[in-house]
Order: sequence, then C-alpha cells, then structure tokens
Amino acid sequence: MALDFSFTEEQEFFRQTVRDAVNRLIMPRVKELDEKEEFPWDLWKEFAGLGYLGLRHQETYGGMETDTITQMIFYEELARGSCGFAMSAIMQILMGTYFIARFGNEEIKQRILVPAIKGEKIGTICFTEDQSGSDLGGTRTLATKVDGGWRINGRKQWITNGPIAEFTTVMATVDPKLGLKGLNFFLVEKKTADRDGFVTGQRLHKLGSRCSVTGELVYDNVFIPDENFLGEEIGKGVQYAGEILNEVRVMTGMNALAISKEAMEDARQYANNRVAFGNPISKYQLIREKFAKFWAWYEASRTLLYKCAWMIQSNIPCTNECMLAKYHATEMCMYAVEEGMRIYGGNAFCSEYPVQRFWRDAKFLLYGGGTHEVLCDYLGRIYCKD
Amino acid sequence: MGLPLTPDASLLTASDSLEVGMEIYVLVKQVPDPEAIIKVKSDLELEIENKYFTSFFDEIAVEAGLKLKEKFGGKVTVLTLDNRRVDALRRGISMGADEAVQIADPAFEGSDQFAVARTLAAYLKDKPFDLILTGRQAMDDDAGIVGPGVAECLGIPHVHSIISLEVDVQGREAKVTREVENGKEILTCPLPALFTCQKGLNSPRIPQVMNVMKAMKAQIKKVDLASLGLGPADVGSQALRVKVQKYLPPPKRPPVKMIKEDFPENVKTLVKLLREEAKVI
Ligand SMILES: Cc1cc2nc3c(=O)[nH]c(=O)nc-3n(C[C@H](O)[C@H](O)[C@H](O)COP(=O)(O)OP(=O)(O)OC[C@H]3O[C@@H](n4cnc5c(N)ncnc54)[C@H](O)[C@@H]3O)c2cc1C
Ligand SMILES: Cc1cc2nc3c(=O)[nH]c(=O)nc-3n(C[C@H](O)[C@H](O)[C@H](O)COP(=O)(O)OP(=O)(O)OC[C@H]3O[C@@H](n4cnc5c(N)ncnc54)[C@H](O)[C@@H]3O)c2cc1C
Repeated sequence: MALDFSFTEEQEFFRQTVRDAVNRLIMPRVKELDEKEEFPWDLWKEFAGLGYLGLRHQETYGGMETDTITQMIFYEELARGSCGFAMSAIMQILMGTYFIARFGNEEIKQRILVPAIKGEKIGTICFTEDQSGSDLGGTRTLATKVDGGWRINGRKQWITNGPIAEFTTVMATVDPKLGLKGLNFFLVEKKTADRDGFVTGQRLHKLGSRCSVTGELVYDNVFIPDENFLGEEIGKGVQYAGEILNEVRVMTGMNALAISKEAMEDARQYANNRVAFGNPISKYQLIREKFAKFWAWYEASRTLLYKCAWMIQSNIPCTNECMLAKYHATEMCMYAVEEGMRIYGGNAFCSEYPVQRFWRDAKFLLYGGGTHEVLCDYLGRIYCKD
Repeated sequence: MGLPLTPDASLLTASDSLEVGMEIYVLVKQVPDPEAIIKVKSDLELEIENKYFTSFFDEIAVEAGLKLKEKFGGKVTVLTLDNRRVDALRRGISMGADEAVQIADPAFEGSDQFAVARTLAAYLKDKPFDLILTGRQAMDDDAGIVGPGVAECLGIPHVHSIISLEVDVQGREAKVTREVENGKEILTCPLPALFTCQKGLNSPRIPQVMNVMKAMKAQIKKVDLASLGLGPADVGSQALRVKVQKYLPPPKRPPVKMIKEDFPENVKTLVKLLREEAKVI
C-alpha cells in the first residue's frame, strides 16, 4: 500500500482555511484590482498580517517552515483570487527571499528577511534583461570586484514588484565571456540618502495580472559590501537557481490549476444558463466536449503536480517531472481559458464578464519557469537521448 | 478555573477574579460547505460531498468568546459532537481557542437534536463554565434546537439570537441585545448562561497562519458516551423524539418556455404567463 493520493485531514483543513481567507479578503475585489492596475497596499497589509509570507521560512525569522505540499496547496488556493496579487505574494514568499534566507548573514536576515516576512519590505528577483530572458547566459549586468565589495552595473526588465521593491536578488555576471559559469546572485537594496542602491525605471502596463506592478530597475555602478554576495563560491549562480526551479515550476502549475478551474466553473454556469436554439448550450455535444476535455486534462495535471510536490518534499530528483508538470498544466490552462472565451460567445469580449480576465491573467504562466519552447526543446532532447 | 461560581471562590478579591478570567465553552458544528454537492439518495439518506466547514453562526460564537477572553482573560474551549470530523474544532483553535474537545461514539449515529443537546449538557454539567456560546442555528439542518436544549438540560438561562453582548464580570451578569420584529430587545441575565449568536454580533476574524499551523497539529481530546454517564438508550436512533420521514430535493428549475407567437400575441401570452404561472405580477 505505498500509493496513496489522499490529502490528510490537516491538509484539507489548511486548504479550507486559505480558501476562506481568499474568499473573504480577495474575491470581492478581483475586478477592482484588475481595473485599477495598482498595487493594493491595504490588501497587502491585511494579508501580510495573517503571516502567510513566512510560509516556507524558518521560525527564528518569523516563518512557518511548512512542507512543500502545504505550500503548493497555498499557491493553488491563493491564485483562485487575483492572479496579480498572487504573483506579488509568491514573489515575496519564494523567489524574492530564497537566496537571502539561504546565503544572507545574520545581520542581513534580521534587517531584510524579518521585515520581508512581515510584509514591511518588499523584495524581488532579477534575471531578465532587454537582451536576455530564456537565455540566461546572455546576462550583461556586470559585477566587478572592488575593495570591500562589488560594483553592479546593468538594467533589469520585467521585474515583478520592481517599482515597489526595497531589496532585490540580482543575477549578474563576473565576466560575460564565461556564459552561464560567470553568473552569481547579489543582494542590492534600493538607493536611499545614505546608501547606494538601484533606482526604478519605467513601469510596464500589462495584459493581465495587473495589480502586481512590474517594471525596470537600474543598477548604475552601485556599490555593495562583500556580504551581499549571495553564495558560497563564485560562478555557482545557475546551480543555486536550480535549487528552487522545481518549486517555481510546480508553483506555476498550481496557479494554472487555479485559474483554469475558476474559468471553467464560471463557463459551466454560463453554459447551463445560456439558451440558444431552445436549449441551454451545455446540452450541445460540441460544448460538452470542451468540459470533458478540460476535466480530463485538469485531473491529469493536478495528479502530476501533486506528485511533483511529493517528490520535492521527499527529496526525490524530479527536474524532468516538474518541467513536464509546468508545461502540461499551463497548456491545460490555456485550453480552459480559450474555451471559456468561446463558450461565452460575444459576451466574452466585454469586461463585464470575468472570462476575459481569466484569459488575460493566464498568459503570464507561459513565460516564468521556462517558456514552453525551451522546456520542450530540452525535454524532447532528453526523451530522444540525443 | 472559572469565575467565582462556588461559595469559597467569593473569597477571591476583584483583581484575583480578573486574573482568573472567564471560562467559556463554544459549541461548534461542521456542516457541508456551501459549494458541496448534496443529493437526496433515498427518502432517508443524503449523499453529501466531502467538503465541510464551520457553521457560520458558530464562528460568530467563537469570535464572541475570544473577544471576552481578550478583555477579561480566561479560556475558550470549543466542543463538538461528531463521530467523523473535527473541522470546526480546528477552525476554533486557528481562530484562537485554547482547547478542543470532540465527543464521539458509534452510539450517536442517527441522533436527533435533543440527544445532541443532552450529550453536550452531560459533558458540560460538571465543568466550571461562566458562559456557553453557540450559533443561532446550524447551517445544514437550520433546527436551532441544540443551544436552547443544552441550556434547558443544564438549568441555566439562555437568550436566543443575540446581536450584542457585554459582560459585567464582577456583577456576574451579562447584557445582551436581540432583534425582534421591528426593533430590538435588551436583556440582562445572571451568569452562567447560554447565548446563541446571530449575524451582526461581530465579524469573525481570519485566522493567522501561526494559529492555523497550531490547529493542524492540535491534539484533540476525545470523549465517549460511557465517560459522560450516558447509555446507548439516551442517544442515537433509540432515543429519537423527532424522526425524519422523507428528504425532498428542491424543485428543479422548470424548462425555458419559448413563446412562438408573433407580436402582439406574444406580449399577451407573456403577461398571462407572468401572472398565472410565475405569479410575479
Ligand atoms: C508578468 C511577468 C512577470 C515577470 N517577472 C519577472 C521577474 O520578477 N524577474 C525576472 O527576472 N523576470 C521576470 N519576467 C520575465 C520572464 O522571466 C521572461 O519573460 C522569460 O524568462 C522569457 O524571456 P523573454 O521574455 O526574454 O523571452 P525570450 O527568451 O526572448 O523568448 C522569445 C521566444 O523565443 C523562444 N525561444 C528562446 N530560446 C529558444 C530556443 N533555444 N529554442 C526555441 N525557442 C526559443 C521562446 O520560447 C519565446 O517563444 C516576467 C515576465 C512576465 C510576463
Ligand atoms: C466585438 C463584437 C462586435 C459585435 N457587433 C455586432 C453588431 O454590430 N451587430 C450584431 O447584431 N451583433 C454584433 N455582435 C454579436 C455577435 O454577432 C454575436 O456575438 C454572435 O452572433 C454569437 O452570438 P452570442 O454572442 O449570443 O453567442 P451564443 O449564440 O450565445 O453562443 C454561445 C456559445 O454557444 C455555442 N453554441 C450556440 N449554439 C450552439 C449549438 N447549436 N451547438 C453547439 N454550440 C452552440 C456558440 O458556439 C458559443 O460557443 C458583436 C460581437 C462582438 C464580440
């Protein structure tokens, strides 16, 4: 009896609790959050007060030290509400603080991680540049060793929480010629009157997930002290990034589960009520097939994602499985939001109905954790053993 | 230890009694989630999807208990009678309750609300409570019997459906408000007492994750029938006073009726249908 797909009673309870919090705090505001396109500070404070930002961090810094499955349940439930808000919160919980918790010294953790967990200081991670996204080896932001520290020069783009961030984990190269082997993470804080740091550039206007603010950050010869080098050895940045990639991919898949399910539940109600040619349209086989297909793919996706969560938690190597899961869940979600748009007929095209928001919000899943071309190119190569 | 209930406790000074605080019990029930699918399986059996949460009014009762604890100190214990589930107990702990007790025994299968009330009262009778709180009714059966039933069994005063609650710890008295037809009623009653809570009393807090984790790990004290001095004849199907005869599903939405006539006959038909069938005009 080794195979068991059930959640424990405690996990079910946790899910129910998060769901209830999302229903009460976020659900009533999703439309407003999308339309305003602003970071909702009031919601952020209220949400941070509940303590979820410390989900995966150590108790000594105010965290909860939950296991991977619990975290994934949280991501799945959170993304049911506003995707933009989920993006900002998950950035803070996972990528935005991981390397600081892993490599920061005690002073850094007290100064940055502790307030980050309380939601008082917002953080983010910076890989992407104007000339490099998928191709990390093309990173041009330069870290130059100087007396007592480093100087960072470059620009980062597409940075979630960038316009409101107070601290960033920045990927920079010590020598562009080294490609992936030259990459490292550094902690760089925002420039203040008495501290050198990054400044914010242009803010982007996005298709979806609009209440998370996204923009450009500029590192103009910023001096940082030695302890802001986040790592044990120079040149290991890509390897360190790999430590959380599995989690990032499964987390992205959890968002896909949530959005697709919300979209299809909404479409189901519409299809059961919308009458054409004398019947609710859900009576027509071509409409029913959409739900059947979604259901099949959704169940498969969910099973694989939670299997990956279990593998991560059990320390079983699962890089390929996590890639497959992210890819499958996201494509499944693209199908769901697309079919939702069709089921709504012309009404899909106006902002009164939520279906267009699901469609817009879902698109961000395509890029983070690896674009599908890059993932499939890799997975296909592995499969063909070439 | 509760408020000075016993004669010797009256020796406590005022500040002592404040330190001792209030001993509050909240009766909670897990009910099917509003999203759960419920089907009538047969005349006497329902099929309920496995999704439960805490009855809404019970959460209000927990919140009321916690507010009093925060003000006067003391302890909040959540109590449920359920053979299978403890969701409402975990919810209570996640909100801030100190202890949770589950009463469970195979003999409870098929109990009516009076048997539930009798059992809860049997558990509570030798506890040092100052106040018992519960929801005005459970969200599933909407019976509203258990709260008043427990108070009757214990021989303590009760007020149903309160929307405000103030406690005078020294005077051992509570002042409550309830809504009545076209107005409000303000009542006082001595403690210990039982109140059932109505929407408007407060808005239940969203639990902090730290307490949620505590609730996930909480050891829940389990109590069986025998330890309450009750026998199988006191509860379950043997003790039924009210019997379910038949469950009926809500009526299905009637099919859409298309009016085929042309103008102006179709308008007349529509008005006729609205008046005679839908009875909305
Ligand atoms: C909402 C949002 C938030 C974001 N937040 C952050 C953030 O906080 N921090 C951060 O660093 N970045 C962030 N990003 C950026 C994101 O990580 C990048 O968009 C992603 O890495 C892809 O890079 P790119 O956009 O430069 O696309 P490119 O890499 O330029 O890809 C363009 C196209 O080429 C394809 N392609 C690339 N290489 C290959 C190949 N070898 N074979 C086949 N096809 C290929 C891709 O699949 C894609 O279709 C965010 C993006 C979005 C949309
Ligand atoms: C930008 C825009 C501009 C427009 N401009 C105009 C305009 O100027 N004038 C105008 O009159 N209209 C206009 N429309 C409306 C458009 O013509 C309708 O949206 C279109 O006819 C579809 O009808 P519907 O939206 O009511 O969808 P419905 O007919 O309700 O269809 C809903 C869903 O049910 C499916 N469905 C319906 N019947 C069946 C069946 N028998 N079997 C299987 N599936 C079925 C549909 O394919 C769809 O997926 C516009 C729409 C848009 C989006």
